[in-house]
Amino acid sequence: MTSQASTDQAVAERSEELRRTITRLFGRSLHIRTLDTGSCASCEQEIRLLAAPHYDLHRLGFFFTPAPRHADLLMVTGPMVRAFENAARKTYDAIPDPKVVVATGACALGGVYQPDPFTRGGVGDTLPVDAWIPGCPPSPLALLQGLLVAVGRLAGKVQDLDFALNGIPQ
Amino acid sequence: MTVPSRGEVKPGLAGRPGLRDLLTGLGQGAADDQPVITAGVAAAGLEAAVRQIAAHPGARLADVFVCAGSPQTNGGPVTLRLVWGLDADRTYLITESAVDGERYPSLSEIAPAAFAEECEIYEQFGIRPAGSRPLNRVALPPGAGPDWPRLGRAPAEPPRDVHAPHHVGGHAFEFPFGPVRQVAVESLYYGLVTSGEELVDLYLFTWHKHRGVEWRLRGATPREALFQVERTEGLGAVGNAWAFAGAVEAALGIEPPPRAMAMRAVALELERLYNHAAATAALCQSTGLMIGQAAAEIALELLLRVNAAAFGHRYLFGVVDIGGTRADLDAAALGSDLPAAYGELERAAAALLSTNSFLDRLEATGILTEEAARRLGLVGPVARATGLAIDARADHPVRPYGQSRPEVAVQDAGDVLARFRVMLAEAAESVRLIAEIGRTAAGPGLALPPGAGPGQLASSGLGWAESSRGESLAWVALDDSGRITRARLRPAAVRNWRGFDDACRSQNVFTDIPIIEASFWLTAAGTAR
Amino acid sequence: MPLWTLRGLRRGVVTTRYPARPDPSARLLPTPPAFRPDMLTPGLADRLVSVCPSRALARDGDMLVFDVGACTACGRCRAAAPQAAGASGEFELAATAREHLIKRIPLGGRPA
Repeated sequence: MTSQASTDQAVAERSEELRRTITRLFGRSLHIRTLDTGSCASCEQEIRLLAAPHYDLHRLGFFFTPAPRHADLLMVTGPMVRAFENAARKTYDAIPDPKVVVATGACALGGVYQPDPFTRGGVGDTLPVDAWIPGCPPSPLALLQGLLVAVGRLAGKVQDLDFALNGIPQ
Repeated sequence: MTVPSRGEVKPGLAGRPGLRDLLTGLGQGAADDQPVITAGVAAAGLEAAVRQIAAHPGARLADVFVCAGSPQTNGGPVTLRLVWGLDADRTYLITESAVDGERYPSLSEIAPAAFAEECEIYEQFGIRPAGSRPLNRVALPPGAGPDWPRLGRAPAEPPRDVHAPHHVGGHAFEFPFGPVRQVAVESLYYGLVTSGEELVDLYLFTWHKHRGVEWRLRGATPREALFQVERTEGLGAVGNAWAFAGAVEAALGIEPPPRAMAMRAVALELERLYNHAAATAALCQSTGLMIGQAAAEIALELLLRVNAAAFGHRYLFGVVDIGGTRADLDAAALGSDLPAAYGELERAAAALLSTNSFLDRLEATGILTEEAARRLGLVGPVARATGLAIDARADHPVRPYGQSRPEVAVQDAGDVLARFRVMLAEAAESVRLIAEIGRTAAGPGLALPPGAGPGQLASSGLGWAESSRGESLAWVALDDSGRITRARLRPAAVRNWRGFDDACRSQNVFTDIPIIEASFWLTAAGTAR
Repeated sequence: MPLWTLRGLRRGVVTTRYPARPDPSARLLPTPPAFRPDMLTPGLADRLVSVCPSRALARDGDMLVFDVGACTACGRCRAAAPQAAGASGEFELAATAREHLIKRIPLGGRPA
C-alpha cells in the first residue's frame, strides 16, 4: 500500500471510530446552544420553531439550553462578523467536550457574504465544524434532518445526490 | 425630476398652503405635486431651517445621513441629507446641505431623534455637530482604527466607548449583558444599570453584528444589491426590499405595473401578519405562558406555510424585484390557506385577552409616552401604541394603498398591552387588505424588463414602505452606468431601538426586559447593518 | 386555564411525524437547482456563474462546480436558463463533510 493510501485508510478508520463515538454519546438526548454570529434573524426564527408544536424537537430527545456548560451541540448561524469572533470563541470554549458544532444556514456555510473587513464570510475559519446545514434559511424540517445527521442518528443524503437532471426541468 | 404620482391620493402642495409657505421660507419655489421634495439648504442656514421644519405641524425627522463627495473630491465637502416625514402633507422633504470642514449645526438639540445618526455620521465621515456633546460608538467595533473601511473619512478622535449619558445616583451599578444571550435569539449587547432589581438605565451596543451593508453595496447594480438588502433583516425582507426598490425606481423614473404593486402589498401584509404572530408567541414566552406560546406558534407556522404556498418562500425572499416583483402569487393557495392560519391567531389572541395573569404582566409595563415617541422619532406599532397616529401606508400612500386605504390602529397607554393590541388590530386589517387588494389586482405584466426607464441617469431617489416594525426608508444614488454610488438603508429598527431604552427605564425590573423586547419585536440585524 | 386546556384538546395534534414519515409541507419549500448536463454549454455555464448572487456556481474547465452549501435557492439561475436548470426538490441537505456539498456537473451541451 502506498504511503498516501495508508494515510487515507487511517483517516477513514479514525472517522468511522469518531462516528461510532458520537452515536454512543449523543444517540440519546442532547442539549443545544445556538450562536448568532451576524445572521439576518430568519435562521433564528426557524430554529425557534423547532420547539413549536409542529416540529417539537423534544420528541427526538433534543433540548435547548442557554448554558454552554450544559450544551452538547452548538448551532452557529451568520457569516462570523469579525467584531464578534472573540465572543464566538469564548462560547465555543465554554462548552465542555465532547461537543458537536453545526454550521447552520447559507451565511455560515460561506454563501451570501464574501470574506471582507467586516465578516469572515462563514464560520469554518473560526470554529471547527462537524456538520453543515444549507438553506436560506433552512426550514425546521431541514434543521431536524441536520441535527439527526450531525449526531449520527440519520445517514446524510446529500453525498449521494448529483444535482444533475436527465429530463426536462420542472 | 418629476416622480410619477403614486396612488389615487395626490400628495404635495395642493390645498396645503402651510407647506407652500414652509418651502418658500426655505427659499424653494412652489413645486408641483410630488411625494418627495428635495430642497438645497446652505450649511449656514441649516439650523434655522431645521427649526422651521420641526415647527411645521406633523413634521417628523425620519432620517439623517451623509454622502461622501466624489472620489475626485476625497476629503472635500460631503452632503448632509435630512429626510423629514411631513406626514400631514403626505410628503417627504429632503434637505441637502454641503458640509465643508469638520462641523455642521447641531441637530439633536432641536430634533433629538437625530442623536444616534449624528454618532453614526461621526464614525463614518469624521464630521460632527457643533457643540461639545460627546458622541458614542455605534457601528464600528472598539479598536477600529483609521484604516477601518468607512463610507468617508475617519474621525480625528475616536468616539466614546460608552453609552449615551445618564445619571447614576445612589447605589446603582452597571453590568454588560450579551452579546451571546438566551438560546435561539439574536446576539445583542445590553448595558444594564441597576440598583438591584429595578432598572435605572439600559443601553444597547450593536457593533458586534455590524456587517457593513451600506459599504458593501457601493458599485453594485440595483439587482445585485437587492439580494443583500433582503438578507440584511430577513424578518423584514419585503418591507426593506420594497423601500430599496422604490428608491431605485424613483432614481430611474420607472413605475412598476399595477399588478406588481398589488403583489408587493399582498407580500407586505403577509409579512406583517407573521411578524405579529411571532411577537405574540414571544410575548407568551416572556411571561411564561407556554400554552399561549404554543397556540401562537401554531398560527405562526401556518402563516409561514401560507407564505411558501403563495410566493414560494416562507420568509417572502425573492418577491420584490427592481421594477416590479419576481414571484407571482398563487392566489388559490392564499385564498384556501390564509383563513385557517389567521383563525388560529385570532383564537389565540382572544384567549390571551381573557387570561388575566397574562394581561397583568403586560399592563403598565414598558411605558412610552407620546412625547417620547415624537422626540425619539419612533415609528410603527411602537409609536402608534403611544397615540402617535403615523403609518406610511396612510401618510405616504404608494399604489395600491392609495386606493385600498388601511385603517391605522392606535392606542394611547403606550405600554406592552397597548403595543399588543395595536399588533392584533393590524393583523385583522392585513387580512382584510389582502382580500381587497387580491380582488382588485389586475393587469398584465409582473415587472418591467431590465433596462426599462428613461435610461441610466446619474440620479438619486427615496423609497419607503410600512414594514411590520414601522416605516422603512431607503435612499440611493446611482452613477451614469446605473451602479450604486451610495445606498442608505434605514429599517424601522434603527429608529425604534432608541425607544427600547426609554421603555425599560425605571418602574421596570429585570424580568420585564424580555416582555418589553417582545412587544417591540425589533431585530438586531435591522439596525446593525 | 380550562379555556386553554379545552382549546388545546379540541385542536388535536399538529406535530410532524418527520423523520419517521415524510411531511407534506416539504413540497412547499424552495430547493437548490439541479442541472441538465446535456443543455449546459460553457457559455451558458459562465452566464449562470455570473447570475448567482451567492457565489455557489463556478466553472472548472468542462465542469460546472456547484456549492450546495452556498446556495440560497433564490432561483436566479433557473430563471436565467429554465431549459438547463430546474428544482432539485431536495431539502434534506445536511452534510458531515463540507466536500459532500460540492457537486461537479459536466458541461455536455453543444453550442448552437
